[in-house]
Amino acid sequence: MTFDWSIVWASRGALATGAWMTVTLTILTMAIAIPGGILLALMRLSPLGAARGLAIAFVEFFRCTPLILQVYWAFYVLPTQLEVQFSGFATGLMALSMNVSAYNAETFRAGINSIRRGQSEAGLALGMSGAQVYREVVLPQAVKRVLPVLATTWVALFKDTSLVSVIAVGDLAYTAMQIRSRSFRVLEMLTAMAVLYWAMGYPQAKLTDWIHRRLAGRE
Amino acid sequence: MEFTLGPVLDNLPFLLRGLWMNVVVSVVSIGLSLILGFGVGLGRSFGPRWLAVALAFYVDSMRALPVLVVIVWTFFAFPLLAQTSIRPVPAAITAISLHVAASVAEVVRAGVESVREGQTRAALALGMTRIQVLADVILPQAVVRMLPAFTSLMVITIKDSAVASVIAVPEIIRQSETVAGQTFRPFEVYTFALLAFFAILFPVARLADWLYGRVAHLGRS
Repeated sequence: MTFDWSIVWASRGALATGAWMTVTLTILTMAIAIPGGILLALMRLSPLGAARGLAIAFVEFFRCTPLILQVYWAFYVLPTQLEVQFSGFATGLMALSMNVSAYNAETFRAGINSIRRGQSEAGLALGMSGAQVYREVVLPQAVKRVLPVLATTWVALFKDTSLVSVIAVGDLAYTAMQIRSRSFRVLEMLTAMAVLYWAMGYPQAKLTDWIHRRLAGRE
Repeated sequence: MEFTLGPVLDNLPFLLRGLWMNVVVSVVSIGLSLILGFGVGLGRSFGPRWLAVALAFYVDSMRALPVLVVIVWTFFAFPLLAQTSIRPVPAAITAISLHVAASVAEVVRAGVESVREGQTRAALALGMTRIQVLADVILPQAVVRMLPAFTSLMVITIKDSAVASVIAVPEIIRQSETVAGQTFRPFEVYTFALLAFFAILFPVARLADWLYGRVAHLGRS
């Protein structure tokens, strides 16, 4: 078997576009899923039973089904039910955002709950207003606990964007697999795809470890 | 648009065979990744320096790669490199096991290192061998602490088994595609697949939560 690696260099433009799409999807999804997660977490902690129930149902549904199936469902079922067409990109972004929002909701809820009640009570006893307690006592500590988990979610999201390739969104995985089937350079293209994901994901994984070490055990 | 159960009920055995495939792939993969992950995790904690470095590279690489990429590479590219052929199911199990084993290794390492060093020194001072220390002192405490994380990994492995649909493993998403194509009822068929996964994953996720609350503090020294 002979391998012809020149195909990888010849496809560099398409691969770069695909890699950029992967990065774009990751950034946009997180930009939607952080406010989305905060909203769900606040709903979950609210005194309103209906809001709580809705948030629990949303979070559990998205955490207990595979993302790839959510993507398929959004792509094949949603248009027939709503009778509107979304682009593959919009569908993929929507499925990813809802999925990551559910995970972020749990992260934020755990972060807020982890700050002992006594601290807000002490703040209030010192004459701080409710908003001050939240801004100066609860949030700074909660952010430090939430940040490492968000970093872990970010890396997972970066990898999960590859799943939208099944609905023909032109991310790195889709682009590489398309060139593979056109050129028949299977090993070369799939290896290039793996190396590119590795090259982008490895520093992110290491950075996540650093964030965990840096913020671990600090109050 | 109306909802009819016909397409799902008519093809129920076909769809359930797909779901069974998800269960088989997940259970075999979690079994293999536990074996491999324990080896890698213990190798990193107790092995010589060069081995720990090599294993750390493996673990971090798997953390950087999407499971889809590992599955697709194992099925399409590896056989070309090795001049052999591999069927979809073994390819999926191999790829998922290699991917999950890295997470298992991290859990094992964290669990083992959570046992205070003083216990090892005390056991060695009592005349126990290194193997005895590991088997009788460290692991019994560490494994209890690993249980909740292993249950979470079970959830991840079951979800990964759905990704095997991209290499034509006849699991439930693959089967759903076929049925949806034949009956033109994607809504009912894919919704059934979602509910089927939920029915399996929800109890496992609750078990993980329960274990975190119930077991995580046990064996804390």
